[in-house]
Amino acid sequence: MTAIASPRLAAPVARRETMPFLIQVTTMTWRTLLTNIRVPAVILPPLIISGFFLLVYNSTLSGAANFFLRDQPYLGFILPLSIVSAALSGASVAGTSIVRDIESGYYDKLMLTPINRAALLLGPMIAGAILLAAQTVVVVGIALLLGLQPVTGFLGLLAVIGIALLLGVGFSGFTVGIALRTGSAAATSGASFLFFPLSFLTATFVPYELLTGWIKTAAFWNPITYILDAMRAILNLGWETDTILRGIGSCLVLGVVLFVWAYTGLRSRSKRK
Amino acid sequence: MSAQPDGEIIADGLVKRYGDFAAVDGVSFKVNTGEIFGFLGPNGAGKSTTVIMLTTLALPTSGRATVGGFDVVTQANEVRRIAGVALQEIGLDKIMKSMELLTIQGQLFGATRKQAQNRAEELLALVKLSEFVDRPVGKYSGGMRRRLDLAMALVHQPQVLFLDEPTTGLDPASRRDVWNEVRRLNRDFGITILLTTQYLEEADELADRIAIIDRGQIRVEGLPAELKAALGSESINIAFKDDESVTRAASEMAGMFDKVQIDRKTLRLYRAKAAEIIPEVVTRLNTAGLVPVALTLTAPTLDDVFLQVTGQSFEEDAKSDIKTPSADSADKKPAQRGFGRRKSA
Repeated sequence: MTAIASPRLAAPVARRETMPFLIQVTTMTWRTLLTNIRVPAVILPPLIISGFFLLVYNSTLSGAANFFLRDQPYLGFILPLSIVSAALSGASVAGTSIVRDIESGYYDKLMLTPINRAALLLGPMIAGAILLAAQTVVVVGIALLLGLQPVTGFLGLLAVIGIALLLGVGFSGFTVGIALRTGSAAATSGASFLFFPLSFLTATFVPYELLTGWIKTAAFWNPITYILDAMRAILNLGWETDTILRGIGSCLVLGVVLFVWAYTGLRSRSKRK
Repeated sequence: MSAQPDGEIIADGLVKRYGDFAAVDGVSFKVNTGEIFGFLGPNGAGKSTTVIMLTTLALPTSGRATVGGFDVVTQANEVRRIAGVALQEIGLDKIMKSMELLTIQGQLFGATRKQAQNRAEELLALVKLSEFVDRPVGKYSGGMRRRLDLAMALVHQPQVLFLDEPTTGLDPASRRDVWNEVRRLNRDFGITILLTTQYLEEADELADRIAIIDRGQIRVEGLPAELKAALGSESINIAFKDDESVTRAASEMAGMFDKVQIDRKTLRLYRAKAAEIIPEVVTRLNTAGLVPVALTLTAPTLDDVFLQVTGQSFEEDAKSDIKTPSADSADKKPAQRGFGRRKSA
């Protein structure tokens, strides 16, 4: 009853070589992009929110801003806020992609392959970064249409987009960490709540120097303050090295801390129990 | 370990504890290369937990297991390369299309994109989904998703296939399709298959050998026919026109059978080798002047075996028992026979 008369397949049964790590990451990135592009509901809201902020803040506050900006254009001051908002809310792409896979069971299917566990983390994060870059370009495009003239020119715009990417990728570590630890979509989308204190307990509408009391203390400890400062400097003042380096440094510190948070989440999720 | 045949599965004292609860409590068995092994038991018996340990998704609390000679704990990647797995919950990304899912899976097992695409085409033809490649998986029916999941498990040409309740939640026609596919994979490609099921009929239909697991332990193991012969009993079923004849016939048969059951107007008489006693039954009916409407002999079933070893029977209507994966919640629940927790009469 158990004897099998038919010959086995002649084809090789199990390939011993592994897909190179970089190609694993590329494959996972491509897949995350594909699934997100097919569900525009994930990527459109951050874009619409940022565009909306930009239009409304610029229209309502630009007249009143003259007294503290001393002839600096308000658009160059408020655009970084839109970009940071887009980066923080758009950073949830990686986390929501991962949690969707966990909930559907597809994550287990991937775990049954000899894939490098880090590729499961990097793929969605890089895909999130690519989508974020596209979003930022659109927001900057809207600002250009509204009359933005950065003092540092085209290079300045690239630098601003670069800082946004650095922030977005770093912050995506936060949602990814939540996704991997909880495996819950509700918890992951709830985690983007952190976006509010980060975006608003800072020099949101006026420069840091004009803040007073507890909000000034909060802004001092909020890394977003330095990131906004750096972008504003690039757009309105010029290549102010100290300010820009402080901004980049803040992105890096935030990114490293949150990446460690994401990676330990991955370790605990991948660990067989 | 290298002397082991390539498709063999060995579990040796596997235990999986979650706190104080032992989901799997010392399970040992061996599946030979090229065999279909049915792992039969009710919901929560420990079938799926055993499978996730054997497929490297969970670590055993104690005990040891090898798949194709590779240790599931220390050689997990080797096990993954030779084992195909279709879990009870279908793990497919619904936004993606079948071709994309199969290609990625193939690439992750080391195939080039072109090789993976060719393999995907082969597999889609095998599971009869070639014409649905452009449809997102979310728009597939439950049966189609099951078949695609089976194809996903076959991407890397595994020597061993683990199928965890492959037909739960399927309509009868789709269930037949899966059965045919499982038989063909085993017959044509010699793939060793470990199949868990809560359906007696499925185990009887497909498995060369079965093990019945209940409350984390294997109660009995062997060839279905042998188990039925050893532990099951044949029954003589005699139908009458009226209730009175049934009651009278039951008293006439006193002492001849292990168990006598009245089921409306039918008398069911159980004992081993019941066929040999039919002449005597007929004689007694004649003497008593009882004329039956019908007389049939029923061969022992796996339910009898299960009843013997666990003291439980299965229910005819298993609606409350059939777990439909959430992904398939829209699917029609089949009127399949499954185990229940009803104590037998």
